[in-house]
Amino acid sequence: MTLNILVAFKIVPDETLIKISGDKVDLNVPVKISTYDKNAIEEGLELREKYGGKVIGISVGVNDRKTIREALAMGLDEVISITPKTYADALATAKLISEEAKGYDLLIFGESSTDGGDSAVGPMVGEILGYPVITYVRRVEIQDGFLVAERNLTPEVEEVKAKLPCVISVTGEANTPRIPTLKQIMESGKKKVVAKEVEIASSSRLVNLTPYFVPRKKVIIEGKLEEQVQKVVEILRGNL
Amino acid sequence: MIVVYSTDQEKFKKLSGFAQTLSDEVIGVAPFRDNHVKKLIVAKTEDLAVETISEQRPSLVLLSEGKREVTVGARVAARLNAPFSSSCNSLKVEGGKVVVERLGFGGVVKATVELSTPAVVVIQPPDSESREFETEIHEYEGKGKMEILNTKRQTSTVNLQSAKVIVSVGRGIGGKENVKYAEELAQVLNAALAGSRPVTAELKWLPEDRQVGLSGTKVRPKVYIAVGISGQPQHLAGMKDSGLVIAVNKDKNAPIVENADYTVIADAIEFCKAITEALKK
Repeated sequence: MTLNILVAFKIVPDETLIKISGDKVDLNVPVKISTYDKNAIEEGLELREKYGGKVIGISVGVNDRKTIREALAMGLDEVISITPKTYADALATAKLISEEAKGYDLLIFGESSTDGGDSAVGPMVGEILGYPVITYVRRVEIQDGFLVAERNLTPEVEEVKAKLPCVISVTGEANTPRIPTLKQIMESGKKKVVAKEVEIASSSRLVNLTPYFVPRKKVIIEGKLEEQVQKVVEILRGNL
Repeated sequence: MIVVYSTDQEKFKKLSGFAQTLSDEVIGVAPFRDNHVKKLIVAKTEDLAVETISEQRPSLVLLSEGKREVTVGARVAARLNAPFSSSCNSLKVEGGKVVVERLGFGGVVKATVELSTPAVVVIQPPDSESREFETEIHEYEGKGKMEILNTKRQTSTVNLQSAKVIVSVGRGIGGKENVKYAEELAQVLNAALAGSRPVTAELKWLPEDRQVGLSGTKVRPKVYIAVGISGQPQHLAGMKDSGLVIAVNKDKNAPIVENADYTVIADAIEFCKAITEALKK
């Protein structure tokens, strides 16, 4: 059988570049495909290579052309880009994706995004559509219309089976996301992007964002190993 | 009415205690029997837990930290058409709204989120006393959408959440064969041995339940010793609340320096060997 797959990916500020100054958080930094969503894309592509079919991407939120092109260059056939006019929380995002998600055999999400990181949108979409929800998947195969997956639920590992269509979320260990070749990057410009602007209400609200840090002494201990060791032993004795 | 759900008996007890500080009407849902709530519904699988929690029509659902809990919580939220927030570390009810605090962006940012009710929240609850009850227990039977072929419980090798001292290893230790030097240090300190995501989930130098970080365990020991850990935001998110942080790193410019009280600029292995000897004396 061939598979029609929908992969959701989120475009997020690169968390390693977020700037903190005083009590202000500057999120106006370069964006990227959220880390584990790259694993979701990769999983979709590997399943297409194995079983045939199509892999369509869907992204709700920031409509960054360059990042969408990166996802297309990895190998997605097409991307649906949805931009809500106001803040969309996890449930609102799930509703928007659900509207576009009918008719697919498999919906793939990353285990968590690197911004909010609620790990919620995938399971919510599954519930809205009434599909089986299989999260934290690290290995997956398709057998006669059924999906068999291994979930990593540290400290448990669980093998499950469910009838397609279903929703899965994949972990970072599921695969190694490919890096597009120059040719793929060039060709990605010709692929289709369906862009939509929508209105949706959210039932939660971000009240504020503040930098989170615990003040530290930041003392550097250099010098001879014996002296360094002596110093740390003293520090430990004073704190244990 | 509040529903609490956890697949971990210890966390269930703590969460029930916390829920009872918010409401007199608390119903527990768990895959095991327990007597820290007045009424408990035993639901063995995620699918069954989603069904029974949703059927209670709660105004608030509280779940403990955990992968199954997050999955169940998000599904229940979709069923109840309710907002959802995970990884929360505080919660209060204000004017009919639920206000939570959680970390975001790999732990760099603290977010305050306001949820309308009903709301679903995954939280590491504050310590609260939990009472025992003559619990009324119901078994919730049914069939889920997914068939569980088998569940292997990997023996848990450590309890990082209760450790007073943690020695944590990063890629800078150089190889699996070198982890033993950090382990020996942990032994003389009576500390738990942990690791960063690369060392645990990716390179398998240590079992995965020893992972500290955003996708692992969030720890708050009295002393945290980071050996060969550069200090990526995902790691910092898991250890920021530690009491005293001591780092050992070759690189003076590693981000861990900004997040440690003391950073020893040294080779991780040499330092571990030398301090282990010194502490034995």
